[in-house]
This record gives sequence, C-alpha cells and structure tokens, in this order.
Amino acid sequence: MSKDKKGGLKRRDFLKIIGVATGTAAVASSCSPPVEQIIPYVIPPEGIIPGVPNYYASTCRECPAGCGVIVKNREGRAIKIEGNPESPINSGSSCAMGQAALQGLYNPDRVRSPLSNIDAEKLRPLGWADAEKALTQKIEELRGTGKTGNIVFLSNNITGSLGNLVDQWMEALGGKHIQYETYAHEPLKEANKISFGIEKIPTYHIEKTDYLLSFGADFIETWLSPVEYTKQFSQMHGVKDKSVGRFVHVEPRASLTASNADEWISVKPGTEAILALGIANEIVKSGNSPNGGGGLRGLLSQYPADKASEITDVPQEVISQIAKEFSSRKRSLAIGGGVSVTGTNATETLVAINILNYVAGNIGDTVDFGDTLSISTADSFQDITSLVSSMENGDIDILFVYDVNPVFTLPKQLNFKEALGKVPFVVSFSSFMDETTELANLVLPNNTTIESWGDYSPRESVHALIQPVMSPVFNTKSTGDVILSVSGQVEELNGKFTQTTFYDYLQDSWKEKWAGASGAGDFDTFWKQSLEKGGYYKDLPSKTVSVSPAVASLKFSEAEFIGEGDFYFIAYPSYKYYDGKGANKPWLQELPEAITTGVWSSWVEVHPDTAKKLGVELGDFLSLESPQGVIETQVYVYQGIRPDTLSVMIGQGHTSYGRYAKDRGVNPIDILPLATDTKSGGFAWLSTKVSAAKINKSEQFVQTQYTTTQHDRDIAQAISLTELEKGIHHEEHHEADFYPPREYDRYRWGMAIDLQKCVGCGSCVTACYAENNIAFVGKEMVAKRRDMAWIRIERYFEESNNNAGFQTRFLPMLCQQCGNAPCEPVCPVYATYHNPEGLNGMVYNRCVGTRYCANNCTYKVRKFNWFTYKWPEPLDWQLNPDVSVRSKGVMEKCTFCVQRINHSKDLAKDEGRDVSDGEFKVACEQACPAEAIVFGNLEDKESKVSKQSHDDRGYNVLAEINTQPGITYLKKVTQDKA
Amino acid sequence: MSEQNTLTYARVNDDIIRMLDKPTFKWWALFLPTLLFVGFGLFCFIYQVYTGLGVAGYRHPVFWGVYITDFVFWVGIAHSGTLISAILFLFRANFRMSIYRIAEGMTVFAVLTAGLFPIIHLGRPWNFYWLFPYPNQRELWVNFKSPLLWDVFAVSTYLTVSSVFFFIGLIPDIAAVRDRVKEVPRKIMYSVLSLGWKGSNWEWLHYTRAYLFFAAFATPLVLSVHSVVSWDFAMSNLPGWHTTIFAPYFVAGAIFSGLGMVITLTVPIRKIFHLEDYITLDNYDGMAKLIMLTSGIVGYAYGIEFFMAWYSGVPAEWYQFYYRATGEYALFYWIMVVCNVVIPLPLWFKRVRRNILALFIISIFINIGMWFERFNIIVISLSRGFDPAAWGIYTPSWVEIGITVGSFAWFFMFFLIFLKTLPSVSIAEMKEILPVPKKEAKT
Repeated sequence: MSKDKKGGLKRRDFLKIIGVATGTAAVASSCSPPVEQIIPYVIPPEGIIPGVPNYYASTCRECPAGCGVIVKNREGRAIKIEGNPESPINSGSSCAMGQAALQGLYNPDRVRSPLSNIDAEKLRPLGWADAEKALTQKIEELRGTGKTGNIVFLSNNITGSLGNLVDQWMEALGGKHIQYETYAHEPLKEANKISFGIEKIPTYHIEKTDYLLSFGADFIETWLSPVEYTKQFSQMHGVKDKSVGRFVHVEPRASLTASNADEWISVKPGTEAILALGIANEIVKSGNSPNGGGGLRGLLSQYPADKASEITDVPQEVISQIAKEFSSRKRSLAIGGGVSVTGTNATETLVAINILNYVAGNIGDTVDFGDTLSISTADSFQDITSLVSSMENGDIDILFVYDVNPVFTLPKQLNFKEALGKVPFVVSFSSFMDETTELANLVLPNNTTIESWGDYSPRESVHALIQPVMSPVFNTKSTGDVILSVSGQVEELNGKFTQTTFYDYLQDSWKEKWAGASGAGDFDTFWKQSLEKGGYYKDLPSKTVSVSPAVASLKFSEAEFIGEGDFYFIAYPSYKYYDGKGANKPWLQELPEAITTGVWSSWVEVHPDTAKKLGVELGDFLSLESPQGVIETQVYVYQGIRPDTLSVMIGQGHTSYGRYAKDRGVNPIDILPLATDTKSGGFAWLSTKVSAAKINKSEQFVQTQYTTTQHDRDIAQAISLTELEKGIHHEEHHEADFYPPREYDRYRWGMAIDLQKCVGCGSCVTACYAENNIAFVGKEMVAKRRDMAWIRIERYFEESNNNAGFQTRFLPMLCQQCGNAPCEPVCPVYATYHNPEGLNGMVYNRCVGTRYCANNCTYKVRKFNWFTYKWPEPLDWQLNPDVSVRSKGVMEKCTFCVQRINHSKDLAKDEGRDVSDGEFKVACEQACPAEAIVFGNLEDKESKVSKQSHDDRGYNVLAEINTQPGITYLKKVTQDKA
Repeated sequence: MSEQNTLTYARVNDDIIRMLDKPTFKWWALFLPTLLFVGFGLFCFIYQVYTGLGVAGYRHPVFWGVYITDFVFWVGIAHSGTLISAILFLFRANFRMSIYRIAEGMTVFAVLTAGLFPIIHLGRPWNFYWLFPYPNQRELWVNFKSPLLWDVFAVSTYLTVSSVFFFIGLIPDIAAVRDRVKEVPRKIMYSVLSLGWKGSNWEWLHYTRAYLFFAAFATPLVLSVHSVVSWDFAMSNLPGWHTTIFAPYFVAGAIFSGLGMVITLTVPIRKIFHLEDYITLDNYDGMAKLIMLTSGIVGYAYGIEFFMAWYSGVPAEWYQFYYRATGEYALFYWIMVVCNVVIPLPLWFKRVRRNILALFIISIFINIGMWFERFNIIVISLSRGFDPAAWGIYTPSWVEIGITVGSFAWFFMFFLIFLKTLPSVSIAEMKEILPVPKKEAKT
C-alpha cells in the first residue's frame, strides 16, 4: 500500500532509529519535514506556460457509453478528467470510472514495453522494431503455409476509424474481426427485432417521462449509458413545481438503481416477463390502454393479475397499482435490461416490456430508434463460442486480443483459457498484464486513450474524437500505428494502406465525415472544431416504429435455472469495476460501494432471514457452489435482496492485472454456467442456482460506514410528496445568539445539495480524490477507518411504508464550512481559522496535529494524516500542482476546492469584476451526473445556490448545534403509497 | 499514642536520614527495570515519530486515545500532593505531616510525566513549541480561545508552583541531611540545596510565613488545574464531553485518584523502611475518609450524567450514555464503576480504614478505575458522536501500551531516585507534633 512501512523494521531503519536515539538533538533534526526541491522550467517547451493548464477534449473509453471528456494538462501531464459539456451524452458530468481513467494511464503496473516469449520461457521485454519484426515474420510464415483464414482479431466494440482499420487489415490478411462486449445486450436487440423489426438498441429519453418502470435496467450503474441516464433520471425525478416523477424498479435485489426508486418491487428471478404482461393485461382490462391493447388482447388475457402474482411473487394489488399508475401518468416508460432479466428467457422478457410500453401508448419519443447505440453492432455470444471451439480445434493460428480480457470475463465452462493454450501465437495489445495478456506470446502495449489518437462512435449521432493529451508515459505504441507499421513490413500488404501513421488514417476517414457534414467549411476548420468540441455531433430525426403482429403469437416462459441449489445467483456488473476493467485503479477500489460501503473486496449479499438460516453474520464467509464451481466470499447481510437469492459483484477476483487488482475478492463469473438466452443466443447471466454453506472463516467486513440507521439524528431528512404539494410552512425562526452574525464582504461560498437528486454513485468522491491529491490508503488502513476521503456518501436505511418496507437515503457529507465552526476555536495554533469568504481555512504548515478540531467537528469530516502516504511512481504524476500534498501529522479536509475559487477570483480581478455565478465549478459539483450539487456565492442573492438555500426543502444537518453550515441540503421527497 | 512515645527528635533524624543510605540490592532491583521500561517507552516514541502517528491505534473518529487518558490520569495523580501539603496544611490537618513529602514528590513527578503526553500525542511533536506564545518574526500567535492552550498554561504553572513548594518544604530537612553526611560530593550537593539554612529563629520566622504563603498560593491551583483539564473536554460540543459538571467532577476524581496513589506508594515504603511510627494508622484513616468523600462525589457524577442525558431529551446525548453502559466498551465502563464506587464502600467501616492490606488493595483498584474513567470519557464519547455514519471503535496498539508502561516506569524512576536522595518524610514537621524533648535527649 502507499504508505510508510509500519511494523517489521528493516535493519537499516533500526540502525537509523538507534542513531536518532543517541541524542535528543538528533530527534528534532530527523523529524523535520522533508526538504522539497523545486526544479524550475528554465526554458519551457513551446505552448506550455508553467502554471497554466491546457484542456483537451477527448472521449472516455472506460465503458461503451463513450462520454465526452476534457482532460486537464499541466506542464505536460494529464492531471484531471472532467466531463465535456459539449458532449450530448454526458453534458459535462462524469462517473467514478471515467475519473479513474487517469490511474489507468499512470498505473505502476502497466506493461512498459513490448514483451515476447518467442525465444524464451517467460515474457521478456524487447524493442518495438524487434517486436514488429517478430509479428511480421509470424504473419509471413503463416501466409507461406497458405493458411490465411486462421487469423482472428478479438477486440471490444471498437467503432470508428480503428474498427475500420482492423476490418481492412483482417480482410487483407484473410482473417476475421470479432467484437466482443462483456455486456452486449443481445436480448435487447433481438427483442426489438421481434417487436419492431429493428435489430438495434435505441436511445431512451427518461427526462421526458414522469413515470419510469424499470425491469432490472441498472441505468445508474452500468446499463448502456449510466451518466446520461442518471442525468435524465435526476431531471425526471427532481423536484419541479412541487412535483416529482415516480420511479419503480423491479429486480430480485435492490441494486443502487433500485435504491433510488420510489418503489422497489422484489420479483422472483426470471419472471419479469410474466409481471410485465400481467401489468399490461391490467391496463388493457381496465380500459386504460389508449389503443385498447391493439391485437394483443388475446395474448395478454392469458396473464391475469392473480396468475402473474402467483408466478412472480408480486402481490396482486401491487400489479394493479403499477398498472393504474403506469397508464394514468401523462408520460410513462418501461425499460428493461441488466443482468437480472438476462436469463434464458431474456428476449421474451424484453418483448413483454415492449408490449407493456405499447399498450400504455408509450412507443413514441421516449424510445428513440432514430439514434441507436453502436453496441448493437457487437458480435454475438455465439461468435465467441464458435471462436473458442475453433481455437480448441487448433484452427486459429494467430489471435490478436485488443482491449478485452476474455479469460476473466467469460465463464470458466467455456474453457477459453485452455483454448487459448492451443493457439500457437497470441498477440495482446493490452497495456496491462491481465489474465489474457499473461498467456500471450507477444505483447504490444497500446497507448491508453489519454495518450493516443482515435475516434469512437457510441451512437449514430455522436462521432467522438480521441486526442492524445500527453506523450506516452511508457514505451507503448498506439495499436493503429502498429497495424500500419506491420502492414508496411508484410510484403504482400505493402501499399495496402497509403497512410503510415494512424493519425493520417484517422484524418482521412474524418474527411469522409466532413464531406457528409453540410456547411462545415474546409476540412481543417471542421477538424479543429471537432477536436475542440470533442467530436462531431449530429441531430437525427426520431423514427416511428410499430409493433409487429407476430408478437401476439409469441410464447412467454419463465427463465430456466441450472443447478440444484436453493438460491438464485446474480452476478451483477459493478459501476466501479464494470466487467473487472476498473479493478486495477486504487481510487475505484477505495471508493465505497454505495449500498454496503465496502471497499477493496468482494462480498455476497444475503437476506437477513437467509443469513439466520445459514447461521452467518456480517463478515463470515460463505461458500457458494454451482455445478460449475465454488467461490468463497464474505457475507453482507442486506434486507434489499430476496431470501431465495444471493448476489456477488463482478469485477474482483483477478489473478493478475497488477498489484491493486490481484488476489482480491472473487470472480462470480467463474461459477456461471454456459447458458444462453434461447431467442437471441446472448449469454444468460441469470441462469444458475447455487447452494450456500457456512465455512469456518470470518474477517472484518471492511467498510466505511458501520451503521445502517440514523439513530434518530435526522441527518438525511425527507418530506412526503403530500407535504411538498401542500407547501411547507417555513418557520423563519432565528434563535437568539450570543454573538452577532458574521459579516461577509463580497463572497460567502456555499453549497446546496439536493438529496432528491443524489443517487449515491460516488463520482463526486473520486473527482475529489483526483482534484485534491487525496491519498488512497489500502484495505488494511480503511479497516482502521483511516480512509482520507474528504467527501463521503452516507447511506441510511429508513423504515418506510413502501412495498419493500425500507428506503435507502444517500447524503454526501463533506466539510460544512460552518459559519460558527466548532473546529476553529479549539485549535491552539490557528491552523484552522475562518476566512473572510466563509471558508474554514486549513493551514497545513501551521498544524501541529492536536486533532482537537476533528474531535470537535460535529460532522466528523476531518481526516488526519496518520502516515506520509506515498503514490507509487508514476501515479504521483497525476498530482494536482495547485494543491499541497500533505505529510504525516497534519489534519486535512474539504477546502471547497479553494484552488479553483482563487483561480477564478484572479481571473475576475484581472478583468476588474466579481466572480459571476456558475463561472467555475468545484470538483464534486462538476462530476455529479445527477447535478445534485450546486456551488456558489451565498452573498449574491441571485445566485443559484442562494436560491436553492432558501428552498422550502432546505435544511442544515444537525442545525441544533448552531454551527451555521455553508451547505444546505434539500430534503428527499418520499412518495406515499398512492 | 503509645508508639509516638518512643519517638524522639534524635530518632526522627536517625530513622529518616537512614533512608538515604547507600542503595541496597533491592533498590537496584527495582530501579534497573524502570530504566529498561523507560528505554522501551522512548523507543516506542521515536518509532512513532519516525513512522507517523498511525502506529498508535487511533482511527476516525477517535482522534484521542490512550495518550490523553494517560495525560489526564497523571495530572489527576498530581493533585493530591498539593491537596495534602497545601490545603490540609491550611486546615491544620495533622494527619498530613508524615505523608505530605511523599505526596509532594509524587505530585512533581506525576506532572513531569503528564506533561510529556500532550507532546507525545501530537501529530508533529517536533513543532510542540508552537503552542507557546513566543515572539517570532513570522508574527504567528497562539489561539487563546483554545482549551488546549489553557492546558499549556495550567500544567506549566502547576509544575512550577508545585516544584517550588516542594523545594521550600525541603530546605530545613536538607540542612539536617547536610549536617549528617560525610562524603564530599553529597555534602556539597546538600550544602548548595539547603541554601545555607542554619535553623535560626529569624530563619524559621520567615520560613513559616513563606510556607504559609505558598500553601495559600498553591491551593487554588488544586481546583483550577484540573478544572482546566476538564475543559479540554467540556468546551467541545461532543455528546459525553459537553457538560457543566466536568470541572468539579474532574477535581474530585483527581483527588480521589491522587489519594489512591499516595496509599499505593506509602504502604510499601512504610513497610520497607519501617516507618510504622511515622506514617500511622491515624494518617491512613484520615486519607481513607477523604477517599470515601471523593468516591461519593465521583459516584454521584456518574449517576447524574445519566440523568442529565435522559432529562435533556437529546438523542445523541442519551445514546452516548446508553452506549457507555451497554456497548462495545461496557466492560470498561463497569470496571470503572466497580473500582471507583463499589470497591471503596467497605471504607465506611473503621476496621477496613485501619487495615493496611485492605487499604492497599482498594488503592490499587482506585488507580485502575480512575485510569478507565478517563479512557471511557475520552474514547467512548469520541467513538459515538453526532453522525452515526462516522462511528468507529478504537483499540490501543502496542506502541501506546509501551509508552504508557514507559510513563509508569518514568514516574517510578524519579520516585526511586527521590527516596534515596531527599528525606521522604518531613523531619522538621514530624518534630512539630512530637513532645518536647527531655533533658538527656541529644539534638
């Protein structure tokens, strides 16, 4: 971990200590802060003004969503990733994974040069020329034997120029390009083909709805485009004109998405289709369907509510309730997807959801088939299985692997690893030593997104550009360049490509887009504009679709399960690690998972009743056995899961992939059987039943919050919708204070956090780590509650009269920048003090570390440097030069991004004006996909934050202590059972 | 009093100065281990400074732990010394005569020990001097609003006053020792320390006035120093700390623990040096009565805290006390209650008060109970603050235990040196309560 060694003194350290002990004078001198050397830029490189950051628009490739990002570069190093406001996908926000892409760039365990094991037992470094020559030779050798068709390029869904290049290259070599996505959403495509005749995944407009019914679609976590849909959801679910949208989520477990729902409907796994049809039937039966059910009346009548209720475990009155709400709201929408509906009947389920939308009259502009997702073009799971069988038969001679890790993400039963052993020559383009790359014969490390040119088109309307923000950290090379260079060396391919660099290739392919774009001026202008904006965005007309009559004759079934165990098993994708890709980034490992607040580990969610039956408690280990194998992991007892279901997060359990990922937790994919959705052939994620048994092992469950309730403290407050509608009688009572109120001059920085919008995703937390040089400390230190996060998401389970019986509330807690701060008077040396703009200043240099401020902090948001934490090279390249790196013995806490405040004040001063509202954003506010955080000047009565602070829902946490916080929270709105 | 009849001025001198004879094997057998443990404590401290405060068991939100417990514990111990020497002097309580020197020595050494802990517990102990308001060209000043700064003044004042008072009381006795010893280095040392005391009437006149003056000067400190220490906690807003009862509660606790420590120390000394004629059962009886009183006050405070927490209707406050008695630290809480309230109860019987063994055992439990009282106040309050999301449990590490053990060794090291260098029973004051010598007695 990144801290000083503790315990286990080395001999040298022992001698040092003895040396120190010999004289008290030496004690003092050895403990003084380390001398820091400042190396000046005597002649700065062109285009760089020391101290002034450059920003470059690019595209995030951590997941298939393809959000636009802006990367901040200081003195030649990328130091911060921010959302690109121009991007129509994320409009300026970002998620934790996106923020953490920097720790991929600077990961100390990256492959630092090409590697090969051609003449050796193990992978050994070699130069690029040799590496390319080795590849050329292999290709020529193969062509010499005439077996040209046996080359396969296995990549993720790379659209755009690189995808085209690979296609062309494979075509020239007579090979095949297979695009493999872990979560390919094939049933969604197939269902749309069956329902509407369009084999595509549409885009959704959640913001246009006022009632959202989701069947397993974890759109806040990983489903299709989480940042975008979270943003849309917050618009739909946020308070406007004293009303809020309603969101009902159907899933066997209460995922983070379900935790944000007004109602979580716990459904028997694999029966969502029946539930959707039951609801549709109720709508039609009650005469609420605008189209009277179309031609589907007959089909639906087979699913009366009582039957649906029996099959799905959802009470009949809940079904009719949902049916009533769904059809009576002005604009409702049902969506489906995610692993929990991806069983063997996944397509049927999604067709049933389409039917539900259809009978409620929703197929219109909230589902947009005019702009479809490019993930639709990924190859099917059947292509992967047939690839594996050809590999096993020895039919593949060269396998290229690009940005996928199938050894980790494919179920063990498929035997990809063994099949890979039968491929004579495996080339990996991975920049990380993952499970697949380990088995490669030649590793040609690709640049990360931040270091390379490229483009990506996540959907038809968006052609996003990727530009290098800095020169490569290690001796890596962009795969596009490698392909072009190798092609130039293979004799028969010589002349196939006119371009020698991928940059030229990219520009040439963008010339076609330029030609297609009307009125874009000359190409240079178009190119520059696109680069500045992060890409080229089109408006596409939406397409009207109609339900195909064939649907009426479809048979709907329950999902089938393999295995004799008592428990349905859900392996769910993680919003921190996606399919395991994020696990090597310490920020993501240390970001507490929203529900459990667990870090750096895996766990299995167990219902309290089940836990009692199995005789386990939090922290005990369970062994989960499916026909395909056994995993052993820690128990998290959670009321938000069905008693007959167990679930484990995907992403951990790496056996390789660097120091932060290796040997941490378990990989639930390992015990999934090789089952497929019968209609689409896509991988069925929910297809096994496992047995669970207690094993004789127990450890501390490492989490950041050990409590589940508020203990009557009223920290995360809520009001009911009825109260909100009636209007709250706001008592403006000012309690008599001994001291006069503080006076502020021009600025009093403040914040408003809307708890109705906050979804608990934690992107603010990671953004704060990135902006403020917050140290990650590792599992052992978090176990001692020594995490350094300046902002934490508090998670409380509140009793509720909803169907689930509880409600999850999230509250981002950070320094409240109190006007009457308890931390200030107790510091004996004025290391913390009140500044004239309302900030609780923290002077690291003056701090002696009495820690009284933290003891007296009502909100316990101060963090102490127990050690001098270190960032292993080159992770430290990411550190923000505008923020001090703290050393051992000093207190730290949220500064309201004082460096950003000061930067804006400087700019304003140069222009002789005040800082205007919204001129800059603090890091957490900027990242927040739900736009729950608003920062600004409270002295400016017109500012957004001022207005929100006086909202009817506004309150201060623990106001009775009279700390007079600078942060106002807006109460969450609870919706009573209508 | 029959045993006092055998005491004469000459015997007093003989008996007490005999204690300063060359250290025996037994003394070394006690002294060398203290050096060893002091050394180990020093090693722990250096290791902590070198590595970072994280080697202690601290964790969010418990930012204070064993070190501050030790600090308050030692400051508390330091209290009964001044109480016995100053307050009881002013009240003319004669039972103090034989024990006040030991108690004063204990005070000075306990303050010396206590004073280390605020520095040991700092995140950056090499900057400890920033806590003093010294003029500097950076124009940095200290925050007089901070109770920690009040502490700096309270403890340093207390150390100064108690040392001076200790020394003044010693002057006539040192002169007596000076007149007795023959070896040159010791003779020089005692000559210097006795400040040329001759024992003249004129000297005695001024001496007794000065002593009275210092006693009066030291008396308010007994109350103020521990009140200030209690404000370290009471001035905060933390449930369990923020309460007005803390000053009297802490002062009573300090006297209680100090008397406990005096008994713990004097019983073996009395036995080893055969001072039964000096430190009498009457003396112990008097101390035991004070212990009864302070134990009662402390017990009342424990009870009223619960009442106030319930009566206030503040959920955080009530939960804090509910948690103390029933939570993870409940064992420590009940150790405290049993040791400080239940175990001293037999002292209501005169037979127990005059039973040296019983007193010794009770005094040990009082020491343990009072250490845990401070631990409970500090650690349990911190571990359950206002925000349930930031609750956490603290357990001390080996470094903290090492330094705590080292602090006891440090205290006993000074005490053992004191026993062999300075008269541990006041020669001059013992003579005040003796009958006037008969003709044949030598002076």
